[in-house]
Amino acid sequence: MKHTKKHFILKSIFYILIVIVVVIQIYPIFWVVCSSLKTPEEMTYTAQYSIPSSFYLGNYISALTISNIPRYFLNSVVVAVCTLTGIVILGCPVAFVISKVKVKYAGTLLGFFLFGMMIPVFACLIPMFQIYNMIGLRNTYWALIIPQVGFGLPMCIYLYTGFFKFLPDSLLEAAIMDGAGMGTVFLRIVVPMAKNTTMTVLTYNFVFVWNEFTYANTFISSSDMKTLPIGLNDFVGQFGRVDWGSTFAAIVISILPTLIVYFILNKNIIEGMAAGAVKS
Amino acid sequence: MKPKNKIQPLYFVFPAFLIYFLTVIIPIIWSVGYSFFSWNGISDMKFVGLDNYIRMFFDHTFQGAVANNLKFVLMGSIYQLLVGLLLAILLSHITRGCNLLRVIYFVPCIISSMAICQIFSKMLSVQPQGLVCFILEKMGLEQIALLANSNTALYTITLIDGYKYCGLYMIIFYSAFVSISKDVLEASIIDGCNLIQQYRYIKLPLIKNIFSIVIVMLINGCLKTFDVFYILDNKSKSTEMVATYMYKTAFNSADFGYGSTLAVFLVIECLVAVGLINKLLGSAKGDEAGE
Repeated sequence: MKHTKKHFILKSIFYILIVIVVVIQIYPIFWVVCSSLKTPEEMTYTAQYSIPSSFYLGNYISALTISNIPRYFLNSVVVAVCTLTGIVILGCPVAFVISKVKVKYAGTLLGFFLFGMMIPVFACLIPMFQIYNMIGLRNTYWALIIPQVGFGLPMCIYLYTGFFKFLPDSLLEAAIMDGAGMGTVFLRIVVPMAKNTTMTVLTYNFVFVWNEFTYANTFISSSDMKTLPIGLNDFVGQFGRVDWGSTFAAIVISILPTLIVYFILNKNIIEGMAAGAVKS
Repeated sequence: MKPKNKIQPLYFVFPAFLIYFLTVIIPIIWSVGYSFFSWNGISDMKFVGLDNYIRMFFDHTFQGAVANNLKFVLMGSIYQLLVGLLLAILLSHITRGCNLLRVIYFVPCIISSMAICQIFSKMLSVQPQGLVCFILEKMGLEQIALLANSNTALYTITLIDGYKYCGLYMIIFYSAFVSISKDVLEASIIDGCNLIQQYRYIKLPLIKNIFSIVIVMLINGCLKTFDVFYILDNKSKSTEMVATYMYKTAFNSADFGYGSTLAVFLVIECLVAVGLINKLLGSAKGDEAGE
């Protein structure tokens, strides 16, 4: 009896601590959502922490109409879709060859790709800038897609090879017995079976691509081609005066897709993040 | 499986190889090449040999940046390691709502640095009064512009960066704790092991490998930190990092040669740091090799 009581107190302490941390973690986001729903008067005259008195959407309307936010949103979507497709289409076959096809150079190839995980993007930024400048890729989607595909491949290949290790060889052999070629085996058996891993690769990369800052800040200067993270700076007007209402609305608009994807697929994202982090 | 001929697997590998080679490998080599030239992007490149490297060692801004960066590595790593570990321990002891809490903890990790920086720069601003200053005032303390003040900026940014990433380390530690076999823990409880002893003698030693991995990640990540410092830049030297200095040298001052030198330094710094930590934690790594 005594033991359970002690246990109960301990548990309560844990719960209290956890709730405190959760509040700290989540409060800034809650605060930004609240602030984005405040009228300009409320913003100026009521306390920062107060909850909006009404459901005011004016900030969202101004963020969506005055600024280029819809365009940035579109740019972000295009870049994300192309990058994610590119990473999976290019990376999955390589992982398949490395782990399932008998080739001599499999180990070297894996090492070659995994090497990329150790390289900070800054090491490549200046030459990339020069090259894209020279061949006129600056201010195009390509300048954002190509480097992100290149730097996304190592992680993608690492995750896929991890999964293929557990894919029984006998399954592939059986298909070959029935006369299937390498391409057929890959497309009809390997790809469908790797569905979960594909999901992990996609969600993991989505978070990064959607939030990507460095490339967009370096290669994009035209306001038509900006992505959302860069576009959030738009509301800093002349003399550094910031239109905070619109900024908050824009922030909410920009984090909403990640939050939605995250709450639906959080298992995949967390798994991918943990695996990716541990490797790099 | 065996390929039909030698060419066939190449179809699978070649496109990825090409993109990877062009975007990762070539630019690195190119960067090293640039670092021996003086070049502003417009005029002709001039070969200067090791001049850029010599200049780097006598550059006060660079020395300051390295010092700041090391300070940040130390503070940021310890902070994120401890918070991540504490969260993981707390989380592994509760049963109800554990999954939901894990999901919530992780939210800051998936939000863009730009959004987080914007939120905090508003919360921390003095004029107009932000939330933190409001609280400081109510508590009767002096209001300080935590981000603009060069004495506090580095610490403040360390906290913001930690806020964003500690969820990640929590997840890694948490999955390590969960994977510890129940038998071992039950046996220890039967032997009269209390909670603190359980951590001291069983749980923490068992996840030694994860520790070394996390430490490598933290130090490596903090060394090449960029986003948060670049966005929250207060134009003083107190928050200059090696990566931000390199970026500004190359893209704001158009000094591509010297910028490349700094980039090369960054890469070498990261590789050396990782090598060193692995060597220091050699015993932990040795266990892992057996797996």
